Amino acid sequence: MTAGPHSPHTLMIRKLESIFRLYTEEKQALHDLPVQLQLLKADQDIVRIGDSPSQCCLLVEGYTCVYKLTTEGKRQIVAFYVPGDMPDLQSLHLKVLDNSLATVTPCTVGFIQHEDLRRICDRYPRITAALWRETLVDASIFREWVLNVGRRDAFSRMAHLLCEFRVKLKAVGLAEDDTFDLPLTQGELADAIGTSNVHVNRVLQDLRAKDLIRSKGTQVTIPDWEKLKAVAGFDPLYLHLESEEVAA
Amino acid sequence: MSLTLQPVRVCNGSDEEGMLVFDNDQRLVAVLTHLSDQYGDVSGHWYLEAKFGLLDGLGHPTYADLDAAQESIRQRLARGR
Repeated sequence: MTAGPHSPHTLMIRKLESIFRLYTEEKQALHDLPVQLQLLKADQDIVRIGDSPSQCCLLVEGYTCVYKLTTEGKRQIVAFYVPGDMPDLQSLHLKVLDNSLATVTPCTVGFIQHEDLRRICDRYPRITAALWRETLVDASIFREWVLNVGRRDAFSRMAHLLCEFRVKLKAVGLAEDDTFDLPLTQGELADAIGTSNVHVNRVLQDLRAKDLIRSKGTQVTIPDWEKLKAVAGFDPLYLHLESEEVAA
Repeated sequence: MSLTLQPVRVCNGSDEEGMLVFDNDQRLVAVLTHLSDQYGDVSGHWYLEAKFGLLDGLGHPTYADLDAAQESIRQRLARGR
């Protein structure tokens, strides 16, 4: 799994290039990074709050989420990650993790040693800039999620989450013709948009009834992108994409 | 703590039957909805649709029957904040 459109390095480079232009030499340096692949089952913690990892995780296949728990054990998912993302990149500079990262579906993840990342960052300042930008975009996504969970109604919240998945997956070539795989449970969606499973069920029924989404198994299709965007109040600005094409 | 139930229709988009739940002083503390058959495992259960005051921290659980729902509400009201 070192070449091809869904190889770890290709996905990582494609993701970084969606937010920052890289030159051939930098892409080659990223391509030469040692990545140790691991297959993980669904609903498994990759790293936990309080951990001090010596490596970062690159998501190659499947979906992961970052979450936090209340003292009573109620979970809030604060972000979903798709292939190409590095969901715990902040651990390169923050010594102790302040959130947990878990698989949502069965996943293939690649682990990259911090020392290897530091080595190429020392040598290629523009890779440092790309990774910095990646964490800044992450922060922008968190800000959008605070707005989403705090101020939009559940119907718009769900629509917004689906818009975000569509654009993020399209950026790495995993959503064609506005169709993508979304094997998430209603409980996971509820934990992400801050509502109950029952309410998620109603919202999804309503989105289907209004033909804003169509679903077949775990595949979701967005028949009218402009309409869903309007319902969600979705403005892709917060994703800071280099190309406007994927959000069009 | 004894609770009083009063049947009600809940306008939540799927035409469901519900119950208003009142405390000893006839104050409205919660609205329960009887889930129709679209909810898979929890169809037929009672869903804590809305809650007030001390019940706020309960979240939105579902209960297998009305007795279980009332017991949970009673316990939470007795416990206080």
